[in-house]
Amino acid sequence: MIGRLALLVVLGVAPMPAQDGDLHVLVVTGLSGEASFAATFTTAGEALVEAAIGPWRVSPERVGWLAETARPAPGRLAGRATKVALDSAFRRLGTTSKPGDVVAVFLIGHGSGQGTASRISLPGPDPTAVDYGRWLDLLAGRTVVIVIGASASGDFLPVLARPGRVVLTATRSSSEGNESLFAARFAHGLVSLEADADKDGLVSVLEAFQYTVREVAMAYERDGRLMTEHAQLDDDGDGRGSAEPGRDGVGDGRLARRVTFGARPSSTDPRVAVLLAERQELEGAVEALRRRKEGMRAAAYLEELERLLVAIAERTEQIRATGAGSPP
Amino acid sequence: MMRPVWPLAAALLVAPCAAQPADSFDAMIGRGALASAEALARAGGDSTLAWLGEILVLRGRAVEAQPVLERAAAGRFGARRATAVLAELAERRGDPVAVRLLAQPLADAWRRDHRGWSADDLIAAGRVLRLLGQDDPDAVRDALEAFDAASAADPTAVEGTLRAADLFLERYNAPDAVQGYRDVLARRDDDVRAMVGLAHAATLTGGNALALVREGLAVDPHSVPALLLLARLHLEAEQYDSSRVAATRALAADSTSLGAWAAVASLAWLADDGEGFAAAERQVESLSARPAGFYAAVAEAAGRHRRYAAAAELARRGVALDGGSVAALGALGTNLLRTGQIAEGRAVLEQAFARDPFHLWHKNTLDLLDELATFETIRTPRFEFVAPPEDAALLTAVIGPLLEEGYDRFAARYDHRPPTPIRIEFYDRHADFSVRTIGLAGLGALGVSFGTVLAMDAPDARPAGEFNVGSTAWHELAHTFTLGASANRVPRWFSEGLSVLEERRARPGWGAHASIGFVAALASDSLLPTARLNDGFVRPDRPDRLGLSYYQASLVVEFLEREVGIEGIRSMLGGYATGDDTETIMGRVTGGTMAAFDVRFFGWLRERFATPLAAIASGDPTVFGAPLAAGIAALQAGDSSAAVMMLTAARERFPAYGGADGPALPLAMTLWSTGERQAALEALTGVTERDETALTANEVEATWRMTRGDTLGALTALERATWIAPYGLEMWRRRAEVAGALGRDADAVLARRAIVLLRPADPVAARTDLAAALLDAGELADARRELLGVLEQAPGYERAQGLLLKARRAGTTP
Repeated sequence: MIGRLALLVVLGVAPMPAQDGDLHVLVVTGLSGEASFAATFTTAGEALVEAAIGPWRVSPERVGWLAETARPAPGRLAGRATKVALDSAFRRLGTTSKPGDVVAVFLIGHGSGQGTASRISLPGPDPTAVDYGRWLDLLAGRTVVIVIGASASGDFLPVLARPGRVVLTATRSSSEGNESLFAARFAHGLVSLEADADKDGLVSVLEAFQYTVREVAMAYERDGRLMTEHAQLDDDGDGRGSAEPGRDGVGDGRLARRVTFGARPSSTDPRVAVLLAERQELEGAVEALRRRKEGMRAAAYLEELERLLVAIAERTEQIRATGAGSPP
Repeated sequence: MMRPVWPLAAALLVAPCAAQPADSFDAMIGRGALASAEALARAGGDSTLAWLGEILVLRGRAVEAQPVLERAAAGRFGARRATAVLAELAERRGDPVAVRLLAQPLADAWRRDHRGWSADDLIAAGRVLRLLGQDDPDAVRDALEAFDAASAADPTAVEGTLRAADLFLERYNAPDAVQGYRDVLARRDDDVRAMVGLAHAATLTGGNALALVREGLAVDPHSVPALLLLARLHLEAEQYDSSRVAATRALAADSTSLGAWAAVASLAWLADDGEGFAAAERQVESLSARPAGFYAAVAEAAGRHRRYAAAAELARRGVALDGGSVAALGALGTNLLRTGQIAEGRAVLEQAFARDPFHLWHKNTLDLLDELATFETIRTPRFEFVAPPEDAALLTAVIGPLLEEGYDRFAARYDHRPPTPIRIEFYDRHADFSVRTIGLAGLGALGVSFGTVLAMDAPDARPAGEFNVGSTAWHELAHTFTLGASANRVPRWFSEGLSVLEERRARPGWGAHASIGFVAALASDSLLPTARLNDGFVRPDRPDRLGLSYYQASLVVEFLEREVGIEGIRSMLGGYATGDDTETIMGRVTGGTMAAFDVRFFGWLRERFATPLAAIASGDPTVFGAPLAAGIAALQAGDSSAAVMMLTAARERFPAYGGADGPALPLAMTLWSTGERQAALEALTGVTERDETALTANEVEATWRMTRGDTLGALTALERATWIAPYGLEMWRRRAEVAGALGRDADAVLARRAIVLLRPADPVAARTDLAAALLDAGELADARRELLGVLEQAPGYERAQGLLLKARRAGTTP
């Protein structure tokens, strides 16, 4: 990881959004109830906002944070997380974003209610799942990622699921009402790049989800507690969440794999730019080869895989040889 | 999928009631007053013929009883009781046709309508339904209902409760059985049948069965069930002479008892007395046409003596005689499982369970096998690791090399090479391990060796720090060799002693070490003489006896080896293999009596523990006593120098003691805090090298040594810690880093592999770390293979790319 960041710095690469469109980030942290939850929610919210403005290179005017206690910040949306403020924030997103953009909404807090009346506790009246659905409908044409990192959040999923949306809930249903570990670990995995399973410097929503599920399960196992939260993800719009998106035979996971957070390296040095492009092409070839794996003889697959991987490694070596840095 | 156990729960009884008249037949039978009961029954004429027949059977005069019972069955009084007893006699003779002819009409009548039936008739119905239950599981439930109805019909009687309890016990349902027996005894405190029932239940639950059975024999010295249980308990304690006495007494009381002949035959079989065994077989054949239960009982005795393969063969003979015998099928299935024949064992147990779905042992075992079917099996050169899928690879990676090392070491020491693969099963739930071992939950042990099949708790079956996974596996593997070298005839004390000794020799800190309790027992002469050491394992007379005996046995064999060398130990195992007893073998090997050996052994012990013994002799039974208390008080008062002085004085009273409740740990912490680092480490090592579960102390030692630049010492402490808590990711990380820094490449590879298998948050980085360690270790092919796996998932991972190029340039192909 250190090597990767060093390379980026030395190359002086211009950040590139993970998707073709722009990324917009709205973080909402709800009522905490006690100091420990306040700290958890705030830490997660702060990390997401800082990552957005920092390594994700999202311009501040496209980043907002509505919180239990307003946390004013120059240049970006901030305020108390009231229903009115949320209404206003979503309406603003509807006008500042454009079709093709990615809108990421992170709701962090305590959940309650069930079905369409599911809610996250906010200062003042709580919006219901239906309200959130109405607000998301303002974002037609955008790729929407909505993460509901709250207890009892499972029933949000069928209400919010639509094609073009990635909906994540910390729990399987509204009956999983105990304190949830999901939000804090999701934010950590996303921001720290620990969730970057393929080490490409970007964290996809799918990677972050899989990382979080694993980490939450291990935390319960470590503490010897029975799991009281089972996260789910829907991105095919059918309203039926999956606990294991991205696995063979599972409909969910395709869109979540494509939506990523982070910045790809690029260079103004034409030699480096060519090498980066070649490397990206070879990475695509590896991906294509993996898809053909089942139909290939193991030895032939391994031979071809190694040829491609060596070619990628050599490109990286050549990039470094241009003076971009030394291998980690 | 879990197998439903058929609900055989009873509304066991019933409202309190007045005592049954002291002279009732059942009360007399209950306290063993059979002669008086017979006289009374004879005086009663036709009205008590059924009772007379039953009493004659109990007195071992079945032939005389038969016509009496037949007359009663055709008469007006007690016809149903007589029919039931006749059916039971037919069952004893191995005549299933007669059983059905007698039992079925009575059962059918009960099923049609039993309103108005007397308690006596209901009991009779229950008895025949119990017999029919061997082919018809529904009949077992009906039997229970009949017994309950009998209890309700005559609340003053206990027979219904007693027979219901027996029904539970036959199916290993100890809690319900115990409730019934206690209820009987609450109303009739001299009922030997209930006492013996409780004693049987105690063999399942770990109670003092011997004391209970002796209580029963005090009331009725001729009780055949009590004598048979006594014979079995002595047999299990490997007290063969005592067992023979009890079996002979049982035969004297009832020469037609198949159980008594089985006890005699078991003794003969275990003593390799083929003639005696054949004579018992002939007797049994004259009593029963299909004595499957006889072979099941002998198989059971063989299995309890760790002769599992032979037990399976004996049980197979029972099955051949009666393919429907649940006892024989159960004994066969259980012993097949113990010898690793899982598929066949399971199939046989499925047959037993189909015939008796109330049998708790079989139900538990089959449920366990369902669970076992989900386990993963991984082969190493000489072992087969069977464990839950999420544990199997890690356990194989960590314990595999240890056991391979153990095989070589033990093969050399014992001059014996057991057949491979040796199967080792790990259970992540202790209850599953317990069922694998004894068919029921509640076993206190950590591991078990059936020979070339081992089973033990997986690390996550218990909280971290509760046991040492490495030493447990090593201990069980040692049994494989001592069992094998002795043709499975080694007595428990000798095998356990060798296993514990091998633990201590395997790694510093492993195995049992001296405790305060042990020294106190030595001081008070309450350790067992070697000739009776086996009792400490199979019949402990006090709560701490088992623990004392493990350690004592290890010292006996340690002392023996000093005297007679490993050749002497091998000779002893060889002696057991040929059927010699301990006294003969010890006499041959040591050249003297066991008493003479004990004089030398206990003298050696007193010398070895002279310092703590002196503390006890000076009037301090806790050894550390006042200095330890003063040291702790000084610590609490913040007076470090006084604490060090007192704790040092305490430690000098028993320098070899490493328990967490001793002075070494607080002394170490105090010394460290006062800057006396080297002395602190020495004190701490007194714990970590003597307590195999000292997890925190080892972690602390590793940290302290690192701060002092003692990387090698830190690695040693971390190695100990990872044997205690092999699922501790952070510990493996530390171990990997330290091993890598020291250039201990193989250890670094092991640690990095463990991290990968522990599902870290960043598996790709962990696998790349493993690949780097493999490269450092020169295992280039493995490194490249690992890197291809990493880069297949993460082609853009530059660190792995660099390592791949490095591996290729080192010039290998995967």
